[in-house]
Amino acid sequence: MTFADLSTDYKGAKSPIFRLAMITGIFTVITAGMYRFWMKTRMRRYYWSAIRPGGMPLEYVGRPTEKLLGFLTAVVILAFYIGIVNLILMFFSFSLFSGNAPAYVVSVIGITPMIFFAQYRARRYVLGRTRWRGIRFGLEPGVAGFVWRSMLHWGLTVLTAGLYWPVMTYYLEKYRVDRTYYGDHRMHQGGSWKMLVRPMLHVYLSVALMGGTGALIGVTGEPRFGPLIPLGFGWFVYGLAAWKAGSFKALTETKTLGDASLRTSPRTGRIIGIYAGGWAAMSGLFLVGMIAGGIVVGILAAITGFDGDVLEEGYFTTLGALPKIIPIVAGLIVYFGVFVFWNVLKETFITLPLAQHLAEVTEVVNPGALMAVRQRDRDEFAEAEGFADALPLGDAF
Amino acid sequence: MAPTAPDTPPADTTVYADYVDGTDAVMHRVALELSRTHLNIILPDGNRVYWPLDALRALRDQAYSEGIVLTEGFDNMARLVVDNPYVAAELRSVAPNLGQRQPVGNWGRITAWAGGAVASVALIIFVLVPIMADQLATYLPPDGERALGDATFEQIRGALGRANSPVQLCEDGDGMAAIDAMMARLDPSDDLPYEARIAVLDHELVNAFALPGGRVILFRGLIEAAETPEEVASILAHEIGHVVNRDPTRDALRSAGSIGVLGLLFGDFAGGTVVLMLANQLINAKYSQAAEAGADDYAHDLMREAGVDPAALGTIFQRLMDEYGDAEGIMAHFASHPQMVSRIEAAQQASGGQDYGLPIITPAQWRAMQTMCGPAPSDPAEDLPAEEGNGGGGLGGRN
Repeated sequence: MTFADLSTDYKGAKSPIFRLAMITGIFTVITAGMYRFWMKTRMRRYYWSAIRPGGMPLEYVGRPTEKLLGFLTAVVILAFYIGIVNLILMFFSFSLFSGNAPAYVVSVIGITPMIFFAQYRARRYVLGRTRWRGIRFGLEPGVAGFVWRSMLHWGLTVLTAGLYWPVMTYYLEKYRVDRTYYGDHRMHQGGSWKMLVRPMLHVYLSVALMGGTGALIGVTGEPRFGPLIPLGFGWFVYGLAAWKAGSFKALTETKTLGDASLRTSPRTGRIIGIYAGGWAAMSGLFLVGMIAGGIVVGILAAITGFDGDVLEEGYFTTLGALPKIIPIVAGLIVYFGVFVFWNVLKETFITLPLAQHLAEVTEVVNPGALMAVRQRDRDEFAEAEGFADALPLGDAF
Repeated sequence: MAPTAPDTPPADTTVYADYVDGTDAVMHRVALELSRTHLNIILPDGNRVYWPLDALRALRDQAYSEGIVLTEGFDNMARLVVDNPYVAAELRSVAPNLGQRQPVGNWGRITAWAGGAVASVALIIFVLVPIMADQLATYLPPDGERALGDATFEQIRGALGRANSPVQLCEDGDGMAAIDAMMARLDPSDDLPYEARIAVLDHELVNAFALPGGRVILFRGLIEAAETPEEVASILAHEIGHVVNRDPTRDALRSAGSIGVLGLLFGDFAGGTVVLMLANQLINAKYSQAAEAGADDYAHDLMREAGVDPAALGTIFQRLMDEYGDAEGIMAHFASHPQMVSRIEAAQQASGGQDYGLPIITPAQWRAMQTMCGPAPSDPAEDLPAEEGNGGGGLGGRN
């Protein structure tokens, strides 16, 4: 039997993800954040199932309650660390250095290993709850190695003002991929960090152009070089998209699972298009939303203003405390509503199209090699991604 | 499209789907048959799998909603992917329990952990952090406290001023001399861990602050709101009480501990910062009520010993309350001062009907103090009620 390469279908669409993100976002606000474990689960089910390599959807089998449990576990541990350790740091900072800056610095450095810890554990949880063709993915335990490597590589990246970024990206990706399993088969990240230098070239050069122009203007005092800066910035934006496409391609095509591998061809232009179109759509719709919201608030204000008059006349003196809380609650709803709406638009107009593009250009090469893959045991992993939930990690899947 | 095994018998009436059995990564093109009670899955090698219709479950939140992905029960790893919308619709109509959710078996464990998490966070925020802050505050060297106080002072000046011009200090020589005279009469130096430094800010807020390291700040608005120098002295004594008790330092240490913990609880969900600030304000309000009562007590004693009537503290509170109202009802939770009425009563009690002699400073000194920020006070009606500041231990004109 011969097997053709498996191309990837994408079945996600804007309107269902908009609906799902909106509904789950509203629930999250109503429940003061507690629904976010359900929101994450449902969004992932959708995103995973949209990606169908060879016509077979990915499946996300994580459960909201295990995330809640993991979060609670993490809170108990982290509350102690953050509360007590921060206080002691602040004390020594005041007593030894007469200022709070050292405490903040030490505190940030102290929390950094926890963030890497949380990243690796979260990756392990998500892979452990992902299946394709009924077979589980998995990530080998190995968080300690990831934490010290991350500290080292991030440290070097900071010291080299970002020049080291491709090297860091490669080695941290390799550490994780080399410990990733599909069923009983281990994945391998081939290639070397050198293949990521070229994708970064536009970023390097554009930053050099902007920095150089700035220095030139500073030294010569000649403002006529000024237009070079927006030019450099445009180039920089192009560079970021080129990095996204180039690094994805380089890292993906050097991943192997036995004899099976991946082929991909993301397009820089398409990525720029997604971001540009996405931001335009988001800003436009957001503006419309704000205007609509303003009208609603205006009407509400008119109504409550009327109520206020009645109250001042003393008809409802026992409810005296009530009107004070109405604007507070309304304010909170508007405040969180803005965040939720923005997030919904971002999922709809950026996350989904980007996932779609990257999925559609990616193929499994030599899928016959997958025939030998057998199931792996479930990774019980009680803490789920609790640490990642508790720490401000941003929301990369 | 998926590879189709060549030995699948083609037949017009047969419908097909993709099947994986959960043991290997081989995708099977299977034929489907429906009986009255079962879905029969016919594998390419002729083997059959029977799934009872009432045990069929559909995966939730799937992107391709016209198709259906089925499994049997909750523990079966096998999956059947049906992309044909007509077949999917047919299956939906015959399988009664597609939407049934897997029961959550560990609510007991979740509840226990939730209780544990709440208890440990409460323990940390309400017991451990305050105790440690209280202990550590007394060990902090004066230099460290002063540095902290100075930094906070500049922040407050910057925040209250207009763009690029912090609020001006009122440093008129006669006015400062009057304050020195007032301090000399109160004479708190035996209690103070370091010298108190009094500053007057040219701002209409009716407020006063104590900052770490012995800095006490009076606002012009407060001096204008006072009708006698004793009233200003009572506020000054109250703020010195905060300094003696090291409340501002405790407060700074405490918030260093509790803000991070609260950030954890609300996670990174949309704009949690506001929830965080509100919650922290609630917690601090509780601490501060004890601290305020302590500072009031100290002020009463200090004034009595100096032969100044402690009732002045009650008088100025009464005036502020008449003007701005007490913080009652829901807002009282957010206000960091104990109810005004009880504080006024306490001040009157401390006065004890004794006869107090000389005014604290001479009328000339009082005039110098009133005009130390410039000529005649502006219209008092424009005075704004004060908001609680960061330094802790403020008077809080709003209360």
